[in-house]
Amino acid sequence: MFKQLITESMSKSPWLFHINAGSCNGCDIEIVAVLTPRYDAERLGFKLAGSPRQADIVLVTGPVTKQSLPRVLRAISQVPEPRVIVTMGSCPQSGNVFRGSYSVAGPLSKYVDVDVDIAGCAPKPEAVIDGLAKAMGILAEKRAAMYKKDGKKAPAEPVQEVIAEEAPAAQAEVPVEAAQEGGEQ
Amino acid sequence: MTIITDALTYLAYILIFPGFLFCFLSGMLLCGIDRKLVARMQKRVGPPVLQPFYDFFKLLGKETIVPAAANKTVFLMAPLVGLAAQVVLQLFIPVFSFHAFRGVADVIVVLYLLLIPALSVILGAASSGSPYAGVGLSREMVTVLAVELPLVLVLLAVAKTVGNALGTGLCFSLTDIVRCQMENGSLITRLSMIPAAVAMLLIIPGETGSHPFDAAEAETEICEGMLAEYSGAPLAVYKLSHAVKLLTMTTLFTALFLGGIGGGVQQLVSGLAPSLAGGIAIVLEIIILFLLSVVLVAVTVSFTHAVTARLRIEQLFKFYWTVVTGLAAISVVLAWYGL
Repeated sequence: MFKQLITESMSKSPWLFHINAGSCNGCDIEIVAVLTPRYDAERLGFKLAGSPRQADIVLVTGPVTKQSLPRVLRAISQVPEPRVIVTMGSCPQSGNVFRGSYSVAGPLSKYVDVDVDIAGCAPKPEAVIDGLAKAMGILAEKRAAMYKKDGKKAPAEPVQEVIAEEAPAAQAEVPVEAAQEGGEQ
Repeated sequence: MTIITDALTYLAYILIFPGFLFCFLSGMLLCGIDRKLVARMQKRVGPPVLQPFYDFFKLLGKETIVPAAANKTVFLMAPLVGLAAQVVLQLFIPVFSFHAFRGVADVIVVLYLLLIPALSVILGAASSGSPYAGVGLSREMVTVLAVELPLVLVLLAVAKTVGNALGTGLCFSLTDIVRCQMENGSLITRLSMIPAAVAMLLIIPGETGSHPFDAAEAETEICEGMLAEYSGAPLAVYKLSHAVKLLTMTTLFTALFLGGIGGGVQQLVSGLAPSLAGGIAIVLEIIILFLLSVVLVAVTVSFTHAVTARLRIEQLFKFYWTVVTGLAAISVVLAWYGL
């Protein structure tokens, strides 16, 4: 009964941590719009957490620049399980107008398992709330999957491993390319 | 035989009525009502009233991360010590005529116990090894220091006034303070006590760390400050401790200034059969206490949260040591002249 209570609470109290991975600030403004009296995401239990350690949902905006990539991965790995990763806007999904730029390392799904994509440039507040509502459901599912029926803890999800493998590689890429550029000049 | 019944009674006190269960339920409910009220004041729908319960159980189900730089024992024990002290404090504050531990502790002990939850948060933050927590804990220390002086003066004013009425000089016993009010009327009805009551109302948001006195837990600038590294169950305990603190401060205000309501309840039930009267009086008193707590939280915490912005730490310190201390000092002087 206690576990059921926890699983039910999981989908009623999602705390957000917002990471700006080189966003143009358009999506960030829309997050604020979602919290205003007109849309009021707090009625669903949403709260902006100040620290990644207290978050359940990570909301990533921006095309994931090379500078921000290691920081984004570090911040995501600090979020305790179960966690849900949501990308907001077209940038973290595809790169949007920044696609192909020398400074863009995205899309985010190359590095971590993204659970929900909210498309749009910038997405409407209704779309953001819809995406976050889906994320709430996934959060409860992940929690239920963490503990199997016999009460034993299921093995950790592979997200952690992906981060551990990719983060040093991504950091290593930067100096190599910088050296190449220097050589060309 | 009496030892067993005594032990069972005290166990019930600690675990059920003014202890853990009561603190958990009513503290969380108060917190939920506070969030709903703030939302309504900002023309939002707001979270459900039961939201703090959801938050609490969700946090219990999350992974608990202990940072590599942290001292594990202190990091994990500090929240528990804080919560335990908070509940012990609630045991010592009388609910009108009902007093779980009569004559054991007085106002001075309450003053000490009020410090322990704040100190436990500071200890936990210091052991977490996070620079954000470091900034937060230095601000929390200043907040504690700022709030303590007016609080001591308020308690002194109350003790002197009650002491005058009972003819004992200074009266620090909470039981006597409430009993005196039940016989002579609430202290808030005395003109000389109104500045102290206002000061106490201003102390409540400072003590609970709510807007605009939440420089120590500023989530937008220092990542929740002292709680920056906490996740999962320890964070849930801190949230619970904070909710209980809301209840404790409003209960303390009720005991210090509105104790006379207990006399009214006693008069109301005096017509009933004596076997029934005691039980009905306690139930009535608990309901009145909770309603008063809701009103006090609405006035001091929710309203100030909705209409003010966060103060800087030195503004907070200046406010408490000038305005609030001044108000409390007026009451102390008036009480000393026997008004």
